[in-house]
Amino acid sequence: MSLQVDYDAIVVGSGISGGWAAKELTEKGLKVLMLERGRPIQHGVDYVGEHTTPWDMPYGGKPLRELYAEEYPIQSQTHGFDETTRHFFNNDKENPYVQNPDKPFIWKRANGLGGRSLIWGRQVYRWSDLDFEANKKDGHGIDWPIRYKDIAPWYSYVEKFIGVSGEKMGLPHLPDGEFQAPMKMNFVERKIKKSIEESYPNRYMTIGRCAIQTESKNNRGSCHYCGPCTRGCSAGAYFSTQSSTLPAAQATGNLTVRTDSVVEKLEYDAQTKKVSGVCVIDTHSLEKSIVRSKIVFLCASTIASTQILLNSKSEHFPNGLANSSGTLGRYLMDHTLGYGAYGIMPADLEKYHVGNRPNGTYIPRFSNLPGDERKEYLRGFGYQGGARRMDWKMMSGQVKGFGVRFKQALRAPGPWMAYLSGFGEHLPDKNSRMFLDESQKDRFGIPQVAFDSVYGDNEQKMTVDMVEQAKSMLKSAGATNIGSFISDAAPGSSIHEMGTARMGDDPQESVLNRWNQAHDVNNLFVTDGACMTSSSCVNPSITYMALTARAADYAVKALAAGTI
Amino acid sequence: MNRRDLLKNTAILMGGIASSSVVQAMLAGVDGRVKIERPIFNWDQKKMTQVLAEMIIPRTDTPGAIDAGVPHFIELMVSDWYTETERAIYFEGLLSLDVYCQKHFSKAFLKSDAEQRIAALEQAEKEAGSYKVPANKNIAKEVEDENKPFFLKLKELTVLGYYTSKEGAQKELRYDPMPMRYDDMQLSEIGRQWSS
Repeated sequence: MSLQVDYDAIVVGSGISGGWAAKELTEKGLKVLMLERGRPIQHGVDYVGEHTTPWDMPYGGKPLRELYAEEYPIQSQTHGFDETTRHFFNNDKENPYVQNPDKPFIWKRANGLGGRSLIWGRQVYRWSDLDFEANKKDGHGIDWPIRYKDIAPWYSYVEKFIGVSGEKMGLPHLPDGEFQAPMKMNFVERKIKKSIEESYPNRYMTIGRCAIQTESKNNRGSCHYCGPCTRGCSAGAYFSTQSSTLPAAQATGNLTVRTDSVVEKLEYDAQTKKVSGVCVIDTHSLEKSIVRSKIVFLCASTIASTQILLNSKSEHFPNGLANSSGTLGRYLMDHTLGYGAYGIMPADLEKYHVGNRPNGTYIPRFSNLPGDERKEYLRGFGYQGGARRMDWKMMSGQVKGFGVRFKQALRAPGPWMAYLSGFGEHLPDKNSRMFLDESQKDRFGIPQVAFDSVYGDNEQKMTVDMVEQAKSMLKSAGATNIGSFISDAAPGSSIHEMGTARMGDDPQESVLNRWNQAHDVNNLFVTDGACMTSSSCVNPSITYMALTARAADYAVKALAAGTI
Repeated sequence: MNRRDLLKNTAILMGGIASSSVVQAMLAGVDGRVKIERPIFNWDQKKMTQVLAEMIIPRTDTPGAIDAGVPHFIELMVSDWYTETERAIYFEGLLSLDVYCQKHFSKAFLKSDAEQRIAALEQAEKEAGSYKVPANKNIAKEVEDENKPFFLKLKELTVLGYYTSKEGAQKELRYDPMPMRYDDMQLSEIGRQWSS
C-alpha cells in the first residue's frame, strides 16, 4: 500500500463499540488512533457524582428545571439524569439536532470519553436465529447476512471479558452465555416467576442478564449494590470503556486517544476506492486537520456514524459515502418503550430486601413462538420488570394527614409493588429515516441531523398486547390495583436506536457486508448500531460488541492478506 | 491551575471522595441545600414554615423536621427552585391559613394554639383533597406539576427535605450506602425502611 498513513487504524468514537474496536485492533498489533468528540473522562477520578449522599444532592435531587429546559431538553428525559450524571451527557443546546414537533425523535447522546458506555442500561442478551431469520421469514427488511452460529463464539469472547451475570435457561430463542453468578431475585419476584411459569406455557421469568460483575474478575471489582451505576463506578463493576476495553487497549502501547475532536467527514479517494483521510475539527480551537490510516472503524453511534457518512459527499458518492445503494440513513429502528402494567402484591409485609440491585427481572419473548402465534402482529417483545417495597417517595403522596401518625406510617416500607415493562421489536421500514438538514448547521459547520420516524401499525398492535399480557400475568400472580403503562414516548426513547447503514449480502440493498465492511469502500467498517438489519426485541449493545470484535478480526486478517 | 483544579485539589486534601459531590455542586455553581441564592421569606413566612414543617413531621423518638433542617430546605426550594406560579401558591397558602385562623379564632396562625393550627392545616388538606394530579403518559419523563395546591406542596417539600436529610435518612430511616449484597431480609431486622 502506497498511501502515507499516520496510523494503521482510526476508530471514531469511544463508547461501547469504539472501545471494543480499539481493544481488538491494538491487541492485534495495529497502531490505533481513537477519536472522541467529547471531553476526557478518567476512570474513577472523574466520576464526581459517585456515592453522593442524599443530603448533598442539590434541591433534594429535583431537576434544575430552567437549566435542563434550556440546555438539556432531550437528555434530561433520561432515567438517571441529574446533577450526579449530567456531566456525562450531551448539551443539547451546544450540540443540537433538528426536531420536528410533529414527528419527534429522542436522540440520547453522551459527550465524553467512554460515550454511552458510562450511562447505559447494562442489560445484555444474545440474539438468536429467531432474530437473524425474522426478516427473511416475514419479508420485512432484507435478510441478515449472518446467522447465530457466525456470532456465537464472539458473544462468548465478549462476555468473558466484560463480565456478565445471569442465569442459564436453555432457551433456543434467548441463548445462554458465559455467565457469572446471577444476581438474586427477591421473595416476591420468585413468587411471580413461579406463578407465570405455572400458569403460562412457554413463559419464563429470570433475573436480568447484565454487564455487571458479581465476581471480582478481569482486574475489576464486583457489584457493591450501592445502586446508581450511571454516576460511574470506580470499582469497575459494570462494563464501560473506562473500566474494561480502554485499559486493555492502552496496555498494548498501541493506542493514541484524542478527545475534543469531532469528525466532520471522511475523505474518499476515487482512485484507490478507499477512505484516504478522516477530517477532524478540534472542538475548542475549531482547527481542522486530516488524519490518515489504512482502515477506519466508525463507532460513533447509530445516528452519529451515519451522519458522518451522509456528510462525506464526493463526486463519486454525492449522497453520502458508501451509499451506492441509497439505503444509508434508512431503516431506522428503536424498541417501543413504556407499555406494560403494574400492580400491588398484597401480603408478605414482613419480607424486605437489602441492597440496591442495579438490575431487574426479565421475561423473554413468548409471542409468535411455536404454539403462541398471533394474528394481529408480527414478531414480539420481552419485559423488563421487578418487584419491590414501595418507598417513602412513592408512599408519601398516598398516606393522608400529617403529624406523628403520618411519620409513623412512613417509617415502614409500603406494600410490594410489581411491574412489567415491554420492549417491542420495531420492523425495518424504508420510510423510517434520518437525514441531514443542510440549512441547519451546528457550531462546527456540520449539517444537523433530522428525523422522519414513527412507529407503524405493527408496533401499535404489539403494544396493545404488551399491556394486556402484562396485566394478565400480574393478575394471575395475585396482584391487585393493576394499572397500565400506556406511553407516548417517541422513537429513540428506548436508546436502542439501530439501523441506517444496514448489513446485507446485496450491495444494491445494503451499506455493509457480512463483516461490517462497506460494500463500496473496503477499508471502511461500521460496527455500532447503524449496522443492524433488524431490531429484535432484546437489548442490542452486546451484539454491537460481538460484531465489532468479529469485524476487527476480519479486518486485521484482510490487511495482512493484502485484500484491503 | 484554574478554579476547577483548585477546587478539586482542595477537596482531595479535605478528604477526597466524600466531598466530591460538594465539589461538583460548586463547580456547577449549584448549592441547592445550604445557601439560598435569592432569599425572599419575611419573618412570618419563615416562622410559619418552621411551625408547619414540624407539624407534618414532628420530633418523636427520632428527630423532627426542625432538627433535620427542613424549614431551611423549604425556604430554599420556594425561593430558588420554585417557579413564580408555585411560589405564589405557596405564599397564598400561608396567607389562607392566617385567613382561616382570623375567621375562626380571631387571631393570626402564629398566634393560634396547637389545636387551632391543626384545624387550619386540616382545612388546607381538605381543600387539596379534590385536586386531581394530571396524568403523565411518558414513562421516560417525569413532569413537575406546578399547579398542585398549597398543602401538597408543603407536604412534598417537608417529606423530601426530611428523608433526604442526614437525620431523616439515618435516624428515622436506615441508610446503607454500601450494602455489598442484594438479598431477602425480614423487615423486623431493621424495623424501618431504607432511605435510599
